[in-house]
Amino acid sequence: MEWANDKSKGGVLAHLERLETQMSRSCKNLEDPPRETAESDLGTKIRKLRCLRDKLRAEVKQRQARIKASTANAEPDQTLEISEQEAVGGKEENMKAILQAYRFTGINLFASGLSGKRTSRGVCVCISTAFEGNLLDSYFVDLVIQKPLRIHHHSVPVFIPLEEISAKYLQTNIQHFLFCLCEYLNAYAGRKYQADQLQRDFAAFLAGPLQRNSLCNLLSFTYKVEPQSRSFPFCARLLYKDLTTTLPTDVTITYQGTDASSTSWEEQRASHENLFFTKPLHQVFTSFARNGER
Amino acid sequence: MDETVAEFIKRTILKIPMTEMMTILKAWDFLPENQLQTVNFRQRKESLVQDLVLLCENKRASLRDAALLDIIYTQFHRHQKVWDVFQMSKEPGEDVDLFDMEQFKSSFEKILRRALKNVTVSFRDAEENAVWIRIAWGTQYRKPNQYKPVFVVYYSQTPYAFTSFCHLKSNTPLLSQALTVASNHHKIVKMDLRSRYLDSLKAIVFKQYNQLETKFKSDFHGGILAERKEPLRCLIKFSSPHLLEALKSLAPAGIADAPLSPLLTCIPNKGMNYFKIRDK
Repeated sequence: MEWANDKSKGGVLAHLERLETQMSRSCKNLEDPPRETAESDLGTKIRKLRCLRDKLRAEVKQRQARIKASTANAEPDQTLEISEQEAVGGKEENMKAILQAYRFTGINLFASGLSGKRTSRGVCVCISTAFEGNLLDSYFVDLVIQKPLRIHHHSVPVFIPLEEISAKYLQTNIQHFLFCLCEYLNAYAGRKYQADQLQRDFAAFLAGPLQRNSLCNLLSFTYKVEPQSRSFPFCARLLYKDLTTTLPTDVTITYQGTDASSTSWEEQRASHENLFFTKPLHQVFTSFARNGER
Repeated sequence: MDETVAEFIKRTILKIPMTEMMTILKAWDFLPENQLQTVNFRQRKESLVQDLVLLCENKRASLRDAALLDIIYTQFHRHQKVWDVFQMSKEPGEDVDLFDMEQFKSSFEKILRRALKNVTVSFRDAEENAVWIRIAWGTQYRKPNQYKPVFVVYYSQTPYAFTSFCHLKSNTPLLSQALTVASNHHKIVKMDLRSRYLDSLKAIVFKQYNQLETKFKSDFHGGILAERKEPLRCLIKFSSPHLLEALKSLAPAGIADAPLSPLLTCIPNKGMNYFKIRDK
C-alpha cells in the first residue's frame, strides 16, 4: 500500500497520472481493447486491496479474542482490567466497558444485586442485599476513574472491611472487588436479618435480650424450646468466623438445667448444635415452635 | 442508702428539667411505674425531688443505680459535653474480630481496676451495638469523684471511641489502654476532632456524609483588612448549629474570599476540626 503514502512521488493524484500515462502507452502498444485490460488491472487491484482489508480486520479480531482468552484463563470469571492508559485517557470507553461487563459477565449480576450508573467522574455502583428472597438494605460505592482508582463516597458500614478489600482488589480487578464486597455485604445483611427475626418473632423463647455485635458475627443467648416451660435450660454461643457466610462456623450449646445427668438433655443439646450449624437461626426456632405445638 | 449516694441521686435528679422528668425516670426503670404514679409531679421541684429520693432510699438504691441514672441524664443532654475522638488500629492481617460485648465490658473494667482501686465503672448498652461507659476517677487514697465523670461511647467493631472532655488528663493513658486492649486493638491516637455533637462526629468518622465543592468570591474595599503593614492577629470563632452548611452558603452571599482555605474544606476528608496554628 505504499503508493498511498509515497509523498516523494507526488502522492495519489500523481500516481493516478502515471497510471493514465501507462495506460495510454499500453494502448498505443496493443490493438486489442486496452480499456478492458486497464479495467481488469484496476479490478484486480481493488480485489487485492479488499482482500488485504479483510485480512487485516480478521487479524485485529483475532488479537482481541486472544487478549480476552488469556485474561479469562487467569481468572475463572471474566475479568476487566483497567490499564494505565485507560485510566488516564479514554474514560468514556472505559465506563462503557465496565457497564457492559456488568451486563455480560458469566455470573448472574442481577442475582447478586449489582447495578451501575455513570457519573461525571466515574461510576456509582449500587449493591442490593437479599436473604431468602427478602430484599434488604442497599449500599453504594462511588468510584472515580483516576490513576489510582479511588472511592469517592460510599455508604458501606464502617465495620465492613472495605479498606482491606480495596487494598487487595480495587486497583487490579474491579469486578472481583465488587463481587467480594457484595459477598461481605450480603452475608452481613443475612446474619443481621436472622438476628432481627429471632429478636422480633421468638422473643418468648429467649431469656433476656439477644447479645450481638455490629457485624452480627457473635450471637449469644439463653433459650428454651417448650413455650410453656418457665425455665430457659439452654445457652447458645454462635460464632461466624467467615464474614462471607450466613451460617455459623462455631456453635456451642450448653445445658444449664438442673437435670444434667439425664441423657435426653444431652441428646437435645447435641441435636440443637447440629440444627444451628445447618439452618438459619429463625428457621431453627420456627421448628422449635412447631414441635412445641404438637 | 449511703449518704453520698443519696446526695448524688438528689443532685442528678435536680438537673433534670421538669419536662423530661417522667421520660428519664422511666428510662432508668429503677422506680416502678406504680410507685411513680403515687408521686405528685405538679409540686415544686425541690419537694418533688425529696419525694423521689425518699422512694429511692426505700428501694435501697446503690451507687450502681445512681451511676446509671447519670448515664441516662447525659445521654439526654449529650450536647452539654464536649466530645473528643480516639482512633484505634490493629496489626495488619489480624483474625476476624469476634467482638463479645460482655467480654469487652469485663476486660475494660479489669484493666482500670488493676491500675486504680478507687474507680467506678458503669455500662449502658445503646442502639447500633454501641455501649456508653461512665468512669468516675478516684486516687489511691481518695474515693471516686462522682461529680466529674468521663463518658465513653464505643460502637462495637469500629476503630473509633468518643470520650467526653476529662479534667483529669493524667487518667487518659489508662483509659486509652483499657479501650484499646478490651476492643482487641493495638494502637490508639487522639484525633484532632472535637465537638459537642456526637452525631456530627459519627458522621465524619464513619464517613456518612455528603460533601459539595464550592468556590468563593470576595469584594473587599478598604476596612480593617485592607492595606495593613503587619498581619492581623485575631481569634475568629465560628459557631452555628450547622457550621459547614453555613460556610457553604457564604459563596452565594458573596462574603468570603476565594479560594476557601483547606483548613475548612479538609474537615470531612481528614476528620479534623481542631487545628493548632503557630507562629513561624
